[in-house]
Amino acid sequence: MDTNANDMSIMAHLMRRAGFTATRMELEAYISDGYESTVEKLLFPGEPENMPDDMIRRYHVDQSEMRQIEGAGAYWLYRMITTKNPLEEKIALFWHGLFATGYAKLNQARVLLNQIDMFRRFGLGSFKTMLIELSKDPAMIIWLDNNDNHKGAINENYGRELLELFSMGIGNYSENDVKECARAFTGWTLKNAEYMAVRAGKDSIWPYGRIAWQYQYREEDHDNGIKTFLGRTGNFNGQDIVGMIVEEIATARFLSTRLFQYFAADEITDDSELIISSMMDSYFESQYQVSAMLRTLFNSDYFKSEKCMYARIKGPVESVVGTARLAGSYRKPTLDVHKLWFQTFFMGQGLLAPPTVEGWHEGTEWIDSGALVERINFAANEFGDVNKPGVKYIIDRLSRQYNGSIKPESLVDGCLDLIGPIKVEDLTRESLIEFVSSYNDTSLLIGDINSIGAKCVAQTLGLIASTREYQLA
Amino acid sequence: MTIIKKNSSSYLKTIGIANNGFNGRGFQNPYSIVVNHDKKIFVLNRCDPARRTAIRIGVFNLEEDYLYEFGQGYGTENGQFVWPVAMAFDTQGRLLITDEHNNRVTIFSTEGEYLTKWGTTGTKSGQFDGPSGIAVDHEGVVYISDQRNHRIQKYSEDGDFIGQWGSFGANKNQFNYPWGICVDIDANVFVADWRNDRIQKFNGDGEYLSTIGCSGDAQGQFIRPSAVSVDSIGNIYVADWGNERVQIFDNTGNFTDELRGEATLSKWAEDFLESNPDEKETRDISDLTPDIPDHLNTPYHISSQTEPFFWGPVSIYLDADDNLYVVESNRHRIQIYQK
Repeated sequence: MDTNANDMSIMAHLMRRAGFTATRMELEAYISDGYESTVEKLLFPGEPENMPDDMIRRYHVDQSEMRQIEGAGAYWLYRMITTKNPLEEKIALFWHGLFATGYAKLNQARVLLNQIDMFRRFGLGSFKTMLIELSKDPAMIIWLDNNDNHKGAINENYGRELLELFSMGIGNYSENDVKECARAFTGWTLKNAEYMAVRAGKDSIWPYGRIAWQYQYREEDHDNGIKTFLGRTGNFNGQDIVGMIVEEIATARFLSTRLFQYFAADEITDDSELIISSMMDSYFESQYQVSAMLRTLFNSDYFKSEKCMYARIKGPVESVVGTARLAGSYRKPTLDVHKLWFQTFFMGQGLLAPPTVEGWHEGTEWIDSGALVERINFAANEFGDVNKPGVKYIIDRLSRQYNGSIKPESLVDGCLDLIGPIKVEDLTRESLIEFVSSYNDTSLLIGDINSIGAKCVAQTLGLIASTREYQLA
Repeated sequence: MTIIKKNSSSYLKTIGIANNGFNGRGFQNPYSIVVNHDKKIFVLNRCDPARRTAIRIGVFNLEEDYLYEFGQGYGTENGQFVWPVAMAFDTQGRLLITDEHNNRVTIFSTEGEYLTKWGTTGTKSGQFDGPSGIAVDHEGVVYISDQRNHRIQKYSEDGDFIGQWGSFGANKNQFNYPWGICVDIDANVFVADWRNDRIQKFNGDGEYLSTIGCSGDAQGQFIRPSAVSVDSIGNIYVADWGNERVQIFDNTGNFTDELRGEATLSKWAEDFLESNPDEKETRDISDLTPDIPDHLNTPYHISSQTEPFFWGPVSIYLDADDNLYVVESNRHRIQIYQK
């Protein structure tokens, strides 16, 4: 592989992990900036750039009101598809999987999106700040019942999950720590908690639709007694508990491992242990900054090596968003965009609807026969339409390169290059060439997207989307 | 939180309740309102995707009696809608309804009988790309905001093309996704130039007369104004959609007042709470005008948490007595102000 091709391959790899895949034009712009500079821009993206809210709200009443899940999910998908700051959305999706909060219990889509926005604002910053904001998040408060956690009558649900699922992991704290943690978070509730809990429980939209929630601290309901947590004793409040949690090595390992599995590889090997260890060092050296941990990962030789490439199975949301971005779909308000949310659901990752507080089981568990068929059909429909801007772009680019007759091998290699680049097994490439060879005429003429050759390109892209390699990140 | 109450129009009442869409009283994403000479009030329910088969026009009166409803459902067939936007009566008392997805105007009788439709998709004269606001002058000339063609078109009541003006841009006589439109008693045409954050005034021939507003959230400024209406003495009312408020200007365009909304329980809402005492009891001890944390301190988020405030004021209407009707898509209700 020559230097340019290698650069393209590594940049495409970075954008599959730190984003949702990138188009060829985007990749060329990133390469011109350089790898490490691109990493920095991903980590510190500045103001969000995506389809403006006013355009979304004008056409989609459901995405203005945010009454139900499919509209809220579609709104987030619009952002993922059109963002110019892909890591901002990718990290929000990471936290959504880790701090899994679901619509089914809340019956409140607006506050779920407010939580996602909180993930955007703090997702690449301090893990300590993130855990404090999470503890104040109204959706999380209802999801894990902290509104029922009262002085003298604790509900330990949030306190337990904070330790077990959100930070240290089981085996690193005692049952007494759970109780003391819960005591420290008494009084952390939401405004109008009683009314909002009744409405959530009944899925009431009456009289005038949903009323969004906000955090409230009730001093009179907070347990101000002495507590002992992780061996330390004092009159701890929630912030103090978080302060002690983030100092733990177990927390650094937990977070580093989860980030590694999300951004680098599904499986942990000896090689990955070294990177995880470096990420833990970055965690402590930076005072718990997620951006520092990801910088260490993305700039490592391991991340850029063959070992790390195609080492993850794309999640359903990554698959849907990546395909839509490549095809150039949903760049403007589109009727039935809510059906995109249903696609993620049918593929096993309904946005804003994780199955439990543990989130989704990832890796190979993403793939079963039904989910795979959904993925392939979705991608084939997207790429099979020569009028989609992204498909049109690939046809145009190949037309300009060949303008006229094009050999099946060149057409296949061109498609594999422009949809990725993706490196497939020899047998897969031969099958694709055989498919293209079945066309009598694959000529491509500049400006003609209705030729048989153009349709062959679209069909080939759809077939590539059904390959094992396309389903890997 | 202090609710602004310096209204030259005084709050009268709220009508509405969220409806799951399929029939009966209540609204589902109301988008437009008109009142006929019988004082029957017609509300267009745009409906979200989950309830779109129930797209319809609901009819009621000021006493909150729900009278009847009509429509032929979601779709592209005659009498059906996909993304309906606005309504207006023509001089024959027929109800004209725009659809920004089907690119046409559909006409119903006030009794709900489908009469006809006109309009095709395109960029040529007489074609639409997203017809939104609609207004009819006293001579039966129909004005339509052709939003994605960034122009205003004039038609006869039977759909014969008469003329057009405007192009894309931010200069005088240009538009950026125009939405609401109205005609005053002097036959001047006012356009809510949505993405230019201003109201433009023209004569009926499309000659530019003046502009009100610019981008911002101060008095006299707008964020994406969606509708405009003019009362019998020339006061101008603007649905300042992005700022979740209504602003009022005198007949020379000087700011005079703003409304943020002060909804109370409608009769239908009271009926609901009476039969759901658990919600009523907890509601009674709640503060529905809470202070808002800094990161949510935008008009949209404030309105999402402050039930009395306008949330999604997509259109406004002035009846023959200059009563003001504010249509809130996100709250499924109408707030009414008395002159």
